[in-house]
This record gives sequence, structure tokens and C-alpha cells, in this order.
Amino acid sequence: MGEPVVELERRIAALRTALRMAALAGEKEQARALRAELRAAERAWDDLLAEDEAGAGAERPAGTAESPAGTGEGARVTERPGALMPLREQVHEALSLLTVPAAPRLLAAVHEAFFASSFPTARVTSLKRDEERSFRLAPYARPYYICAALAADRLAPSRGLLAVSTWPAERRMIGSLSPRVDFLVSAIRVADAIGRLPAGSLPADRLLRRFAANIPGVPVHSATVDLRMVVQAAQAELEVHQAADSRVRRAAARRVRELDDVQQLFGARFGEERVSG
Amino acid sequence: MSGTEARLARVRGRALPRSHNARTIAALAANPGCARRAIMDAAGVDKQRIAAYTGYPAPFGQSRFALARGTAFEAQVKASGAAGLLTLLREHLDLPIPEAHYDDLNDVGGNTDLTVRYAATRQKLATAVTSAADAGTMFDHPLLRLEVGGRHAFLEPDLIAFQLRGRFHVVEIKSFAVIDGQADGDKVAQAAIQSAVYVLALRQALAGHGVAPETVADETILVCPKDFSSQPAATSVDVRKQLTVLRRQLSRIARIDDLLGQLPPGLTLDLDPDGAGVPQRKPAGLAAAIRAIDARYAPECLNTCEMCFLCRDEARGTTARLGRAAREELGGVEDVPAVLRLARGEHRPEEEGDLAEAAALLRSAAALRAEILGEAV
Amino acid sequence: MSTLISLARAVAVERELAQPIRTVRHVHLADRPLVFIPLAMAGEANAPLAAMLGDDPASARLLTVAEPRDRDQRFAFAAELAGIVLGYIENSHAPQLIVPNPAGVTFTRLLGRSTRFRRTSGEWAVPAGVPLLGRWLTFFSERYEHPASSLMVAMTGALTEHWATGQSPVEDLSLGAVLGWVDPPSGMSGAQAAAAAEDPVVCPPAGPATDPTFDNEVLEPRMLAIRTAGLTGDGRAYDRARQAFDEALATQLTPVWAMMWRAVDLLRRVPEAGHVRQRWTDDLDAVAWHAGHIGEGGPPQARRDGAVAAARRLANMERIQEMVAVQRAFDDPLVMAEYRMTGAAFAGEVVHAEPDRVDGSGRRRVLRPRVTLVTSDDVSEQISASELTSPARPSQKARVVSLTAAGDQCRVTVELKGGMGRSLTPVPGSVPAVGERVCYAMVSDSYQNPPALPAPEDTPWTHGGPPPQYTPADDEAREDWS
Repeated sequence: MGEPVVELERRIAALRTALRMAALAGEKEQARALRAELRAAERAWDDLLAEDEAGAGAERPAGTAESPAGTGEGARVTERPGALMPLREQVHEALSLLTVPAAPRLLAAVHEAFFASSFPTARVTSLKRDEERSFRLAPYARPYYICAALAADRLAPSRGLLAVSTWPAERRMIGSLSPRVDFLVSAIRVADAIGRLPAGSLPADRLLRRFAANIPGVPVHSATVDLRMVVQAAQAELEVHQAADSRVRRAAARRVRELDDVQQLFGARFGEERVSG
Repeated sequence: MSGTEARLARVRGRALPRSHNARTIAALAANPGCARRAIMDAAGVDKQRIAAYTGYPAPFGQSRFALARGTAFEAQVKASGAAGLLTLLREHLDLPIPEAHYDDLNDVGGNTDLTVRYAATRQKLATAVTSAADAGTMFDHPLLRLEVGGRHAFLEPDLIAFQLRGRFHVVEIKSFAVIDGQADGDKVAQAAIQSAVYVLALRQALAGHGVAPETVADETILVCPKDFSSQPAATSVDVRKQLTVLRRQLSRIARIDDLLGQLPPGLTLDLDPDGAGVPQRKPAGLAAAIRAIDARYAPECLNTCEMCFLCRDEARGTTARLGRAAREELGGVEDVPAVLRLARGEHRPEEEGDLAEAAALLRSAAALRAEILGEAV
Repeated sequence: MSTLISLARAVAVERELAQPIRTVRHVHLADRPLVFIPLAMAGEANAPLAAMLGDDPASARLLTVAEPRDRDQRFAFAAELAGIVLGYIENSHAPQLIVPNPAGVTFTRLLGRSTRFRRTSGEWAVPAGVPLLGRWLTFFSERYEHPASSLMVAMTGALTEHWATGQSPVEDLSLGAVLGWVDPPSGMSGAQAAAAAEDPVVCPPAGPATDPTFDNEVLEPRMLAIRTAGLTGDGRAYDRARQAFDEALATQLTPVWAMMWRAVDLLRRVPEAGHVRQRWTDDLDAVAWHAGHIGEGGPPQARRDGAVAAARRLANMERIQEMVAVQRAFDDPLVMAEYRMTGAAFAGEVVHAEPDRVDGSGRRRVLRPRVTLVTSDDVSEQISASELTSPARPSQKARVVSLTAAGDQCRVTVELKGGMGRSLTPVPGSVPAVGERVCYAMVSDSYQNPPALPAPEDTPWTHGGPPPQYTPADDEAREDWS
């Protein structure tokens, strides 16, 4: 251990104090800058120690060139085996299994359960934006787009839900009963998908359990969840809601046809002029 | 901009206003006699920033772990049309199966203007009461408003549940655990007061639409993780007592105009940022301005208000700094040196009355300590 | 709280140093207590993050959990903890658990709750020792609620029981601040030391809550580093990351460890109160009983008491509380002073004594000495009509027979009964002599009978009926801990 390490340690201590003061004072910009400096200093310290341990000229294990502390989760995940598919295709796979609009968290869980790889939900929000941009530049150029589900009353994009552009418009409309209806439909799809699996999947079972716990008529404390019971119970409740829900969705689907192509897929925003065509 | 709003804006200075939330209202109601807090909150002053700038950074901080857990739990409960919550509500409110509607009141075509959202919330909820069918069951991201000190504060409860042709129940989602049916008393109490704030606000919001106050139940629902898992469980919380306390305390918070009237004219807490946004105000000057506004420090402030260290420092040498109980035990005498003079018999009040009684009490106590410890107090 | 204690606080403010409010120590201190400092992960229901513990100030054991949300890692932590705690209980003839503050007791109680129902075999097996640890932790936590017990101590409470700081009870929950007031480093006043202790960088919080800035700036990145190293399978990086994590937690725990042992020393220097030994013997009996109960295969403590058990426990606690309050008054003039303030006791110097006075009015002649004392305390009507006891002669009873004002003071004559031997001549020293300072109180430390409550099996239906027999259930072994 030599001078540089001691120097670094002093600098790290000073940065920590400064960072703490900035954080307490609510000085976000300053805190961000200090944090970045602190990370760099800690990385340097780490490297110095590693060098010291291994002796001069020792090899550094692959993968430590980029400090884990400095980057977000996303960078790592693309290096994981089996995650070679672009995000939009993974999301499409999951949505196609469910056949109804769904939130990123659920889609990630579905993908992990049935397609053996997950994706960080944080990246999904930018996906919708990217899809819209891509559509605007070259409408219908791709076979499908990951698009929005629209709130039935004002046809605004429903926050947090994703859908597929090739679905009938009705399916992408969200009335007040639609979240419940889609939840029950998802449960049935998941149960069916588990039935088709060649082998057991722990994440799939966990997913089904979460559905089962929220459908009346499915016993939850048993060791295994009965697929048939889930389907039956979900069907039973669906019968109560489906007619009313479909009415609302159909009505909204009729109105959405008056919007332009972009709005039909990605929703009308407040204050936007409705453009027919 | 009204006169009051203009004066409040001057107090705040150029900084962007921060809004009240249920927690700050609850804290304010717990200490209604504190003008400093009432004015700073009404003006939307960033108390954390001000406190740090004057050299008294608040001891508060939010651990990202706690934030993450809270956010994750709420997201879990509200996922898929609040499926997890619906299960709990069916149990708790005996909701019939058809009552499974989920409305996101945040969705006003993407418009996030507060007044628009507030109007939409009132309208949707009022319709729910009066409409015959399809009235809605769960209303997510409602926006409410409450009058505090003559000003309006916008509030966002977690969710409001509604029973067809029945009543509204405020639902609060918190991430502290309920273990064997019991939870941390302080946290439950805090959640109860916050829920009471929402009940009041909701009643106010609906009153304008001719909806009777009893339509908003004084029984709220608290959703917490059960035992050591992340499974949600619901508990009914009776907030009648909290409502009474709140109403009383809120009415005691003097109308802001009166408090503003007591301030030196032109008083401002502005940080005087230069062209690059760097504050130029002298911290000592800012502290002096703050001190021109009366405060009422109590140790409880240490848990609820970002100004606590500054006010505590100001309260040095007072019995208030030791706590309300201690001040009472010391006969209500406000000043520690005064307490000791009375205790030592250096000051003997002539007339009968509270002070003479306090003096006698303190002298006895001092004599006992001196006798036993072998040295004068 | 009382005027006496608040006055002591006022004096502390003036002198900038904590003031004694007790003359003797009312809590027992084991020769080798087990100091236990737990840290919990923010936002989780009692997820252990780290702990520092040991019964020797020179050797602290540090346990850490790299991923507190991982069930397996939590139980691994519990297993390691079990090794240390159970080993300590077995080897110590007088085990005592000391945590920094009441929140530490809550943590221990919840940790006991989340482990005592587990099983070491079967589908949801946990490592050996974990359920047993749970039962002992629950036992100690329950003893904390017991007014006469010193088996589990929260250090802030033990310190503030004996010293008044110049701050509020809210601030007294901070071990660093209390120690600052009581034992400031040289060159600093108590007030200054307490203020310094409020900076979490200088003085980390005593837990179980961690400093949020520490969480955000230090802990989170190190946990991420461990996770990443784990994912990439880089063993060297993982070890380094793990080491960095442990070191970070040590920076938060080591100062608290030092504070705890400093506090132990401070308390040890206060002489032990008279009745403490007797209460500690009862404590050790309870330990032996619990060990026996476990040994005989008895079930773990139920989640909740049945109605009768709860009522009985409450009534019991109240009686014991009374008894302990009187014991403390008898042991400590500063506690007795509280009774003197409220008129439940008076003290003064004996100015006249008739040690050989005999009362022949009844069938037999009996020894009834009288002594007269002068007191500045209030002697109320109520106390004049009651049977009184003196700490110096607990088996003797006294009654006020005359009372006259004498300026600021009172001349009180009491008649004494018992505690003087069998003959009509008092045993030397059994009657107060002129010039002696005596104290008479309207209390007694004798045992009172427990209230009559129905047997558990006769619990009335209004209180839920008889409690069900405890049978260990699968559910409990499988209960989520996530």
C-alpha cells in the first residue's frame, strides 16, 4: 500500500462528507456530480488494491473493466445467456401469450416463466416511445408494433399498459371493468400455457399462484394449484363482467376509428386536435 | 393572484412552491400553534433547503431501500386493476362480484393540471353516488383538496373504494408490516391521521355536489404486508377520534392572513439566486428572517419538521426544549434559569397563584435532592 | 417523569452535564452480558442486515447478510446467530442480553417470532438451532416487559433510569446523545458531546435503523457490487465486494459496540441496589424453567395469549410493578424522595424516643415504642391514617399518633410495632434513637395475593372461549419470510 491509496482514501472520505451535505440540503445536481466522482474514486481504489494483491502485471478478471457500481442493471442483462432477442420481440411474445393488454411487470414475469429469460421493466417505458417514433417515420413498415391500450372515455393512452397493434381495436380499449376482465383472461392463458409446458417451471407456478390468490373459488393453501380450478373459477367470474365490458370496449372501438393512424395506436392526448383520416 | 397569495409568494421568494400533503397537514395539525410552520407550509417553502442553507440540515433522509419497498408494495397491490386490493375489499366490504370496476382518475386525457384533475375527481365520485348502476368500485389516484389556514392544499390519497349505492372508504397502502394482527403503534397512528385528512378532504370535495358527509365512511382501510411476507392484508381503521382532533386543530390554525399580518413587511425567505442560480443570501440574514416568525418548538418536531434543529437551537434554555411533560412538571415555568432561581429560593413570588405554587414545588424538590445528594442544586 | 427528574434535567442544562437521579443501580449487570447490536434493512419487516455481538468487549463477532431479501440468506444469518447466542446461554450461568434501545428489543422480539415456529426437517427445513434461537429470543424479549427482570436490557433505558440528561425523552432514545451527556470526552461538555453524536457520520445510529444517507451512498452500491460479481461468476471480485460490504457495516457497528461497553462500565460503577440480587435470582429461576420446558419438549410461545392468560399476565405485571416500585423506594433515597414529594412518605431527624414504652391497655402487655421526629416534608391526613413502613426496618410497622406544626416543619410522633424481638425490651438498634434520620412510607414491599381468575379451560365465551390446544402447524413452518 503506498501513497496513492492513502491519498485516494482521504479524497473518498472528503467526497463522502460533501455528498452527504449536498444530499441533506436537497442539492440534487451537486449530489449527482459528487456521486459520480465518488464512484470513480472508489473504483480507482478498488483497482489499486487489486493490482497490489495480484502483483504488477497480473491479469484482471474479465468483466471488471466496467465497475458494477457505475452502470445500471440494463447493461448487465444483455450479457446474460438466452437474452439475445430484442426487447420488442420479448414483449410481443409475452403479450401474445396473454392475448390482452398488460403492464411491464406482468409481461416480464410471463416471459421469465415461459421463455426462460426476463427483461428489466425500466426499459419498457422507452420502448413505447421508440415504437411510436418508428411508426411515425414509416407507418406500418413493421409487421407489428408494441402500442398503447386506450382509456375508453377519452381514448387517451392508458398509463402502464402495453398492447399489440395487430389486435382488433376493441381488445385495446380499456373500460372500468376491463382491468378485471383482462386479469381473469390472463389467468386462463397462463394456466393453459402451464398445461402445455413439457416440464415444470418454478416461476410459472409462482405466477399462477399470484393469479389464483386473487380469484374467488380457488383454494390457495394447497401444495399445488389445480389448473382446471383456476380456469373454471376465472370463467365463472368472467361471465359476470364480460357483457358489460364488451359493450364499453366496442363503443370505444367505434369512436377510435375517427382518429388518425398514430392516435389510433398510441392514443389521443389532451389538447390534441383529432385528425380524421 | 389574491392579496394573500401574493404575500405568501413574497415570503417564499423565487423558489418553486412545494405543496402540502397529508403528512404535512397531519404534522401541522399536531402543532397548530406554530406560526412559523403554518406560514412556511402555506407559502410552499422548501423547508429542507432553507434549513440546510442556514446551517441546520434536517436529520431526515429517505433510505432508497425503504422507498423502493414502499413503491414496490403499492405497485403490487395496485397491479392488474388492483386485483390484490379487490380480493381484500371483497372480504372487508362484502363487495358483490359485479363490483369490480377500476377507474384511474389520473387519466384526464393526459392533462396533469391539478384543478382539472380535482374537478374530474369530484365529478366522477359524485356520479358514483347518484348513478343507478355501473357506479364504479375502485378509484385510483384521486385528487382532493383541503382548506388549511384559509388556503387550499391538494392531496392524493392512495385509493378510494366505493360500495355500490353505499359509501366511500379511503384506502391507504403502507409498507410497514402487521405481525400477528399488530403493527407499530406510532406508524398506525400516523396512517390513521393521514387517512382522516383524506376523509375530511373527500367530504369537502363532495359537499359541493350535494353529497352528505356520512357517505364518506369514518372507517378507512389500511393495507399492509402481512406478517413477514409481502402478501397484503387489510385492516379497518376507525378515524372518528382523529377526525375530531383534526377538525379542532385545523380551525385553530389561525387564518393565514392574520399570521401574515404579524410579520415585518417585506419579509422574505428568498435565497437570492444570481444569474447562475447560486444563492447569494447571507445565511445569518435568512436565519434572522425565519426567527421573525413565531415558532412553537416541541421535541416532537424532531420527527416531523425539517426546521427542527433551527427551532431547537432557538429554544435552548427553555423548558419547552425538554418536552411538554417536563415543562408541566416544572410548574409551567418557561425558562430554565427561572426554574432554577425559584428552586433555589433566590426568587420567591409574593402573591398567591400558580407561580407561587410552582415555586414551592420546586423548592421542595431542590431541598430533597440537596439533602440526598449532599450538594446544593 | 416527575418534578424531581425534570428539575434534574434543568440542572443538567445549566451544568451541561447529566445529573444523577438514582443513588444506586436498580438493574442487575451480569458479569459477562451478551451485547447484541442488530441492524435491519430499511423498509423491510425486520429483515436482518447485520449484527455485532459478543460477551467480551475485546472480541466482537460481526454477522452480515449480503441480500437481506433472500430467505436462505436470512436463515443462514439466523443459524450463525444461533450458534453464538445458544452457546452463550449454555455456557453462562447468568445470561443477560443487552441491546442499545427499545427498538432493538422490538427487533429481537420479531426475530424470535419469525424463527421460533420453523422446523429443522421436512419441506421448509431451516438450519439447526434456528427454532431454538427463536424461542430464546422470544423468552428474553418477553422478560423485557417484566418489571422485575434484568434479563434483557435496553441500554438507553438503563442509562436514563439513572441519569437525567439536559434534553427531551425523544432525544434520550439516541444512545450516542445520552452517553454524550453522561460521559463526555475530556474537553467537551455533555451538551457538546450530545450534539456531536447527532451527526451520523461521526456517530452512527445505534440501530436497528441505519442512517439513510449511509444506505443510499455506501450500502446500495456495495450490495449491487456483490450481486453483479455473483452474476458474472467472478470469485475474486465477489470476495472483494463481500469484504467491502462487511467493512462498511463494521464502520457503523464498531462505534456502537464501543459505546455499549462504555455504558456497561459506567453502570457498573454505580453500586447495586439492595433488592436487585433477589430479583436476579428470580430471573435465573425463570431461565432454568424455560430451559427445562424446552428440554421436556414443551411447545414454543403461542402467537397470542388467550383472554384469561392475557388478563392474568396483566394483573400479575401490575402487582409486580407495585412491588418493584416499593423495593426501589426502599433501596434508594432518591426514589423515596418521589414518595415524599407526593405525601406518601416523610423523613426527618428523631428528636425524642421512648423505646421501652409498653401498652397495657389490652389483655396482654405489648411493646409499643414511640419516637418523635421533625420533618420538612408534608404529612398528609391520608398518611396519618395509614400503616407505615420504614426502609431501615422493613419488618416493623408504624402509625402516626400525633402531629403538630412547628413553623415550616412538623413534629410527628409514631408508634412502632414488631421487629424488635419477642420480649418487652427491644433488641438494641431495633428502635430509632435520637439523632437518627428515619423515613416512614405508606407502602409495603410484602406480597399481595393474585386476583381470582378462572382457569383457562373455563374462559367465558365473551372472551373467546377456552383457547385451543397448541399443535404445531405446517403453516408456521412454511410461513413466508420474504
